[in-house]
Amino acid sequence: MRAFLLPHLLTGAAERFPDRIAVRDELGALRYAELERQSNRLAYTLRESGVLRGDRVGLFLNKSLDAIVGIYGILKAGAAYVPLDPFAPAARLAYILRDCGVRCLVTQREKGREVTQLVVSGAPVETLVVSNAAAREVAEPLEGIRYVGTETLDAAPEHWPGAPGIDQDLAYILYTSGSTGQPKGVMLSHLNALAFVEWCHSYFRPTPEDVFSNHAPLHFDLTILDIYTAAMAGAALAIVPPDVSVFPVQLARWIEERRITIWYSVPSILAMLALRGNLAVGRLPSLRHVIFAGEVFPTKHLRALMTLLPRAQFTNLYGPTETNVCTYYRVPVLPENQTESIPIGLPIDNVEVVVTGDDGRPAAEGETGELYVRGNTVAHGYWGDAERTARSFLLNAFTPARDRMYRTGDLVRRREDGHLIFIGRRDHQIKSRGYRIELGDIEAALAAHPGVAECVVVAIPDEVIGSRLKAFVVTNEVVKEGDLARFCADRLPKYMVPESFEFVSALPKTPTGKTDRKALVTSSVPVPDHT
Amino acid sequence: MTTVAKLRDFVLNELHWDESRGAITPDFPLIENHVVDSMGLLMLVSFVEEQFGIALADEELVPNNFGTITSIAKLIEQKKSEG
Repeated sequence: MRAFLLPHLLTGAAERFPDRIAVRDELGALRYAELERQSNRLAYTLRESGVLRGDRVGLFLNKSLDAIVGIYGILKAGAAYVPLDPFAPAARLAYILRDCGVRCLVTQREKGREVTQLVVSGAPVETLVVSNAAAREVAEPLEGIRYVGTETLDAAPEHWPGAPGIDQDLAYILYTSGSTGQPKGVMLSHLNALAFVEWCHSYFRPTPEDVFSNHAPLHFDLTILDIYTAAMAGAALAIVPPDVSVFPVQLARWIEERRITIWYSVPSILAMLALRGNLAVGRLPSLRHVIFAGEVFPTKHLRALMTLLPRAQFTNLYGPTETNVCTYYRVPVLPENQTESIPIGLPIDNVEVVVTGDDGRPAAEGETGELYVRGNTVAHGYWGDAERTARSFLLNAFTPARDRMYRTGDLVRRREDGHLIFIGRRDHQIKSRGYRIELGDIEAALAAHPGVAECVVVAIPDEVIGSRLKAFVVTNEVVKEGDLARFCADRLPKYMVPESFEFVSALPKTPTGKTDRKALVTSSVPVPDHT
Repeated sequence: MTTVAKLRDFVLNELHWDESRGAITPDFPLIENHVVDSMGLLMLVSFVEEQFGIALADEELVPNNFGTITSIAKLIEQKKSEG
């Protein structure tokens, strides 16, 4: 049978390769047959707990075998999973859960204290499925919440009753930074993911012998490639332990010991590997693909890494969460004198990209324009926000098909050979460590502090992580930098908290009265040392 | 200011650790608690190298040396005495 839902990939692999390792973490591993059975049990348990087709189920656990079981179990129940950043502030996560109406959460025993914080912060959760403990083992259970644990999971049927829906159904919702101070939920269907995964499978040609790294957090769309392409190939998925990736030398050793053949992450972690991994040419012999996405890979570090790993093929993927991935670029050997950034490349199969000039017509070759994307990888829109969806997902005016196109907000230009070059953003969205950040989101959080009269946040370019965040603040009372940082940390994920705060008496303005962000950035970039 | 106090200051002011999530004592585990992530480590390494005038080898960037403020301070003392 053709795989038209994401869990079909797992079921197919379980039939063909029941005894091969599907997923591995530092504590153990699951074979395909086991992953299939465990996720079926979870699907039954969710159904019995009242989860219906189309419901949203939160995924709130550390990266682990249970998390992968959770993903497939939720999908098999016909629901969409909403992966939560395990380290984001409770208030932000509670907002997400309220926003898309999550009443059931798949979690694990270790998360008990944080789950309590979520509920206290107003998450509308009614049922907690604890993947690794019996309900009665839960310490200090919350009143009014139903706990379902291993006693129910272990007794549930272990076969999948079959497809609960069609490929247009939502598979997951990923929340990204929104410009108005609250995250927005990008709705992606099974078809959206499969269209991309099928391309990955045909392009990277993985086999059951391959081992994919799983590095990105689950709320980050990079994980779509490794989790599902591995399943499509019957390959193994190796979850990178978070503490290992902090230390580049350890990470290099881990890649070697785990015999990772396909690595996928944001560039910053690879830049660190090149800078501090103590790699020598010939190390990591198993690695055949190095894939990166999320932000621009500084050419200098990319060349350094390619020199250290001459046998690996390097591929740059590009695409906002709303399009999965829409273009790719296979990186050739980079000349020693090249300083410019590599292109984002060509569209993947069955995806069309249009570069649009200011007049709304397709831009000429070499002319800078905004990138529009159409195809099966394009998301369904933003959860519960028809207005924002209508602004960003436009009726296609370029062909008679009248389908929807996603307006990326990214400025690009097409090179002579057809490859697209990324130029920048139309708005105030930036990238740092691969995370997409709306500066307005941070400004809204900071402005809520009673001592802040006015503020602006700018991104200072940084060679390794993309950009560093700096806030300029006009205060109406004495406020300490540390207070502002903590205030932000209570409301925003860590990667969105400004690294520095500068107190100013007024913000510089442009002649049209807008805050002069450019002047603030220029004043913050260190002057090169000419001595 | 002692080495431990300087490191504690750095963790609070530059890595923006919120002590309501755990007090930064000399033996508070920095990695497990996500006080120091991969980018934080690079910042911490540059700070230590500049502040204490030492150079750290890639091999020295390991959990044993960077797990707690105590272990970082110990590494600094050892490098200074070698230097």
